Amino acid sequence: MKTSRRISWIIGVAAILATVVAFPGRLPGQTSAAKSSGATSGSPMSVQVDRVDPGESDLAYSFQVAIYENLIEELNKTKQFERVLREGDRDAGNVPNLLILRTTIEKYTPGDETRRAVTTVSGATKLTVRSQLFTSDGKIVLERTVNGEVRFFGSNLQATHNLARNIAKAIQQSTWSGSEQSSAMLGAQF
Amino acid sequence: MNRLFVRRNHRHPYFDGRALIGLCGLWFWFGLGGLAQSTASPVNASAPFSTRATHLLGLENTKSNCDGTLSLQGNELQFQQDGKPSVELEITSVRHIFLNEESKQVGGLPMTLGKAAAPYGAGRVVSLFAHKNYDILTLEYIGFDGGVHGVIFQLSKGQGDLVRNELVARGVSSSSGEDQRTKQSTAEVRRENK
Repeated sequence: MKTSRRISWIIGVAAILATVVAFPGRLPGQTSAAKSSGATSGSPMSVQVDRVDPGESDLAYSFQVAIYENLIEELNKTKQFERVLREGDRDAGNVPNLLILRTTIEKYTPGDETRRAVTTVSGATKLTVRSQLFTSDGKIVLERTVNGEVRFFGSNLQATHNLARNIAKAIQQSTWSGSEQSSAMLGAQF
Repeated sequence: MNRLFVRRNHRHPYFDGRALIGLCGLWFWFGLGGLAQSTASPVNASAPFSTRATHLLGLENTKSNCDGTLSLQGNELQFQQDGKPSVELEITSVRHIFLNEESKQVGGLPMTLGKAAAPYGAGRVVSLFAHKNYDILTLEYIGFDGGVHGVIFQLSKGQGDLVRNELVARGVSSSSGEDQRTKQSTAEVRRENK
């Protein structure tokens, strides 16, 4: 009696394990998310980087342009996307699985390189932005608040480089895998 | 009758002298005005212009933070890194110019290391004086693919205005450049007051 119970228990556990291994993407929490996506899974994604929206801040144009250019460079470095397009690119309409990256400045603290060099503890340039990845039909697949700053050495524009690197890293490190849409939707929930 | 006639005869040369002096004065005045006008607007749209600049970022096939010569020739803006072929972009593709000032530490990495190594915090004292104001010139242009590009140059103080004036004379819009400069200085003042 005891032996048959044990055998049936083992068979039950094995059946559950087999089900989980066979259908890894069909956990109840993920089903609806995967269905709500419009993009086709399995094909590589591309991204179009929009110009930086200064929001309410009085961020200098040089900083806005530097963030935009550094973002394009850093996203290309990650090799996560098949193509990294600029705003206004004529090819954007023909690229399948195109995502749009929008960056909005939330907070900007202007710094001073001389003050940093003299005092070490003050004069940091700090930037806080909201980064959003949209699908071409306007759905948000990833939203993050990212910081970039320069505290000790380097010019004020160095903050834009650090910020762009952090945004690219945040996109890469999220559960976003680039081609698996279910993972992308999981990333959006963070 | 005769006296009157004589008087009139005497007054004629007098009036001629005054008229001559007045004429000379007017001629001198207009000459000065013309000279002032020519110094106020030295920009000649067709004349080539060049200045030393540091490319901070944005130009394709060009390293960031590299020194070179920024020149405007005809309808092209060129940046030539020392000893390398120049990178060109059409001035008609430039949509906006923005100019702002920034204070930077001079001497680069060697100076920074030297200041860090200096004993008794002497490096900090050096930092207090080892800074210089630069013009930061930002251009926004449209590439061949229709995409928006940005490029940033660092120039000696005062040179940024000259380049901007040259570009404006060649038809580039600089609508918000002045606003930006004012805005920035206001922000800095606000920060200083805090």
